[in-house]
Amino acid sequence: MKKGQIWETRPLECWDLAKEIRRSYDGAIAGTDKVLGQGMTSWTLDWASAFPAIRVVEDNPVGAMMAAQDEPFARNCRLASEVRGWGREICGYHNTCWGAQFLGNTADGKPFPLRNFTVPFPCVCDSHIKRGQQARDFKPIARWTNDFTMYIGERDEKREEAMLDHRNYNTLKLLNEMEIVFGQKLDDEILFEMAKSYGSINDMRSEIAYYMTFKPTPLTVKDLYSFFQLRPSPKMGPDVLSNFWKSLRDEVKFRVENKIAAVGTERFRWLEAHPPPWHFLKYYRYMERYGAVCLGSQYSNLRELIFAEDGSYSVRSFTEPSYEAGMELSTREDLVRFMTTPDARSPRHWKIEEYIEPDKLNTMMRIYNCDGALLGIWRAGVGCTLLRKEQAMRLREDGYSVMVYEGAQPGDRVDLDEKRMLEQLDTWMESLGYQMLDDE
Amino acid sequence: MDFKELVAGRHEYAKAWKARKGGKVIGWFETYFPEELAYAAGLLPVRILAEHEPDIISDKWIYAACYPVKDMANQLLLGRMDYIDGFVNTEGCQWMFNVYEVATNNAPQLFKHYLFLPDYTESKSSKDVLRSELDVLKTRFEEWLGVTITDEALDNAIEVYNKNRTLLRTICELRRADKPVILGSEFMNLLLADQVMDKAEMNVILEQFLAELQAREGRDMVRLMLIGSETWDSKLEELIESLGGNVVIDELENGTNYFWNNIYPQEDRLMAISLRYLGRNNHPVKDSNWRRRPQRIFELAEDYFVDGAIIAKQIYCHPHGTDNYEVWKILRERNIQYHYFERDMTVPKEETQLHLEAFMNMLRAGITRLVGWHNKIEI
Ligand code: SF4
Ligand code: SF4
Repeated sequence: MKKGQIWETRPLECWDLAKEIRRSYDGAIAGTDKVLGQGMTSWTLDWASAFPAIRVVEDNPVGAMMAAQDEPFARNCRLASEVRGWGREICGYHNTCWGAQFLGNTADGKPFPLRNFTVPFPCVCDSHIKRGQQARDFKPIARWTNDFTMYIGERDEKREEAMLDHRNYNTLKLLNEMEIVFGQKLDDEILFEMAKSYGSINDMRSEIAYYMTFKPTPLTVKDLYSFFQLRPSPKMGPDVLSNFWKSLRDEVKFRVENKIAAVGTERFRWLEAHPPPWHFLKYYRYMERYGAVCLGSQYSNLRELIFAEDGSYSVRSFTEPSYEAGMELSTREDLVRFMTTPDARSPRHWKIEEYIEPDKLNTMMRIYNCDGALLGIWRAGVGCTLLRKEQAMRLREDGYSVMVYEGAQPGDRVDLDEKRMLEQLDTWMESLGYQMLDDE
Repeated sequence: MDFKELVAGRHEYAKAWKARKGGKVIGWFETYFPEELAYAAGLLPVRILAEHEPDIISDKWIYAACYPVKDMANQLLLGRMDYIDGFVNTEGCQWMFNVYEVATNNAPQLFKHYLFLPDYTESKSSKDVLRSELDVLKTRFEEWLGVTITDEALDNAIEVYNKNRTLLRTICELRRADKPVILGSEFMNLLLADQVMDKAEMNVILEQFLAELQAREGRDMVRLMLIGSETWDSKLEELIESLGGNVVIDELENGTNYFWNNIYPQEDRLMAISLRYLGRNNHPVKDSNWRRRPQRIFELAEDYFVDGAIIAKQIYCHPHGTDNYEVWKILRERNIQYHYFERDMTVPKEETQLHLEAFMNMLRAGITRLVGWHNKIEI
């Protein structure tokens, strides 16, 4: 038994299936016959997979991965961007990814996969708004754009009508024009199928979020990050993903009922608000040496729960009610409306929440029985730093202990002093009366 | 007319305006704010100007923003603009949104509104969204102030603002002359005053000033263009002038972008306003689809016969950090010399002066009209 162990623990059984799905998807996308786009499809339906040979990749994970895996290469990429004028305060994901485009190769020496088109990634972050341009500046390629429609305050459905029309118009235009530009037919049937399973996967994810409110938590944030990346491969059939989430849900439920912990030493629970420094996830393990477990963040899936005063909970999914709310789905226009959802401020991801529900992290701290919060502030990440200081103040006002650390951006290693961060964590834990379990 | 003094006295002006008119003051941050609507509601729209004072507060609230934003927060939290009755944030740079949030969270009694203005300004549907948003803002103003914004009031506001823009454009055109009668610093102060004063009153001042200008002698100096992050004072222009240069044109948010386009009146007043704000020359965040800024910069440089360009970017200004690449590229391709540097609100004098001096000396060697050799050759 491990020193300080309080709870029974064992590895998740779902890992094998998760790895298999991952391998299958990687194999499916490895072909060279794809028309490659920059951006993101839709939070609701991955429309690119309904085209025969179109793939859309985001520069965020590409940049983060480059920085995590090959620091000297990532630095060269940044240099290549900076000498061409990209500012040092631009999101590191982008500076690194597009720096590789300038260099002409990826870290393994293979030619950089140039994009054939760009599509929007609707988001309030300015870096998102501008980021398709890096690929378009480099060579003339097809481009489509859209907006993230935003306002502050209570939902106002009347106000949203024009916003939704605007977003739907631009999405429909994109899909229709893409067929013409690339001579490929979009298979609406595939999207209808995806729409049907969308709600159930989301429900299961939310249920999992609910089970994480229990002590000890059956999952940690690291598990969540791995599972969210899973995409279905056509080869494995349409149900593979929903089956995966179902078995994960069942396993998590079983673990809660039998008090099987993700971390056997759990005695301190904390939340985050934002993506972590991807190259330095080791701090999660480091904190486990104090018996401290990160349950997740506004960025991971934990925000999906809405608790009523009597303690009952309901699911507030990434996208607001759409299919379940009886939305008709028979035409491509319907699919587009489904993707946009009836909420003009969706997807309600973490950044949107910070604008319109600034107290959300406080609520989550209560729901998840947390003891503290760890917040990153980034010199070169406007979207993930904006409002963070006020968030920390609000948490402290509610009596929570908050540690704030500085870095360049979650996908940029430049400023993050790893040693200093660990020392800060030591001080944070010790100030709250915790010692490393190995020392106790 | 000493426009710099007008800018320095802006707080007193606003307080006096309130006492005189019994009206309210609305603060705005981005030049996309549709001032016409506020004006038609009887408000005094005032741009929040950044001003540097030792900053003891903003770090508590904001991290890694550009310095003007922090200076604005500092000013607002110190109560330097406590005559302001409300704020509107027009969707644009996120750091501006941050200062809006800090200002309104610290003064929850004030009127606040977030106006969505599409970043995708060129879509067929953008004008309808903005029109709808203008309608929402109009209703909010009406409810807040207990007034009705009539078509007549909108027509009057559009007329006053169009006249103002036309006057600014007319004065700006004088900068194209071989020997401009107005210096860049004076023009900048004139614009800043314009952004904090009642436009009808400002129009009277501008008309008088225009007449004054006719009588002035111009001066031939190194002709420069100023590009980059928006500005809140004339320190940089003054430094340039002390070295024998003159900013004869700019491509700044609060410069030519502010007044270049007029509203084309139409029956649907809100649509007319919507089209003006979407069709204006863009800030980098709004220039997110087609890149129109670089070409516009080139055209202005040609039209105003510049000898060189100065690109001054605020440290931490991510929108301009993203546009640099294409701006540098077009200037290089078209053989327009430029000097790029990063600044904050203070413009450190020695270091900036040294760089500017070197740049201008380099330019001078190629500016034959300043050397005057063609006048001296005896045949
Ligand atoms: S939110 Fe942060 S990490 Fe995401 S794109 Fe914006 S700056 Fe980059
Ligand atoms: S555009 Fe640049 S200078 Fe203006 S507020 Fe944003 S970061 Fe600051």
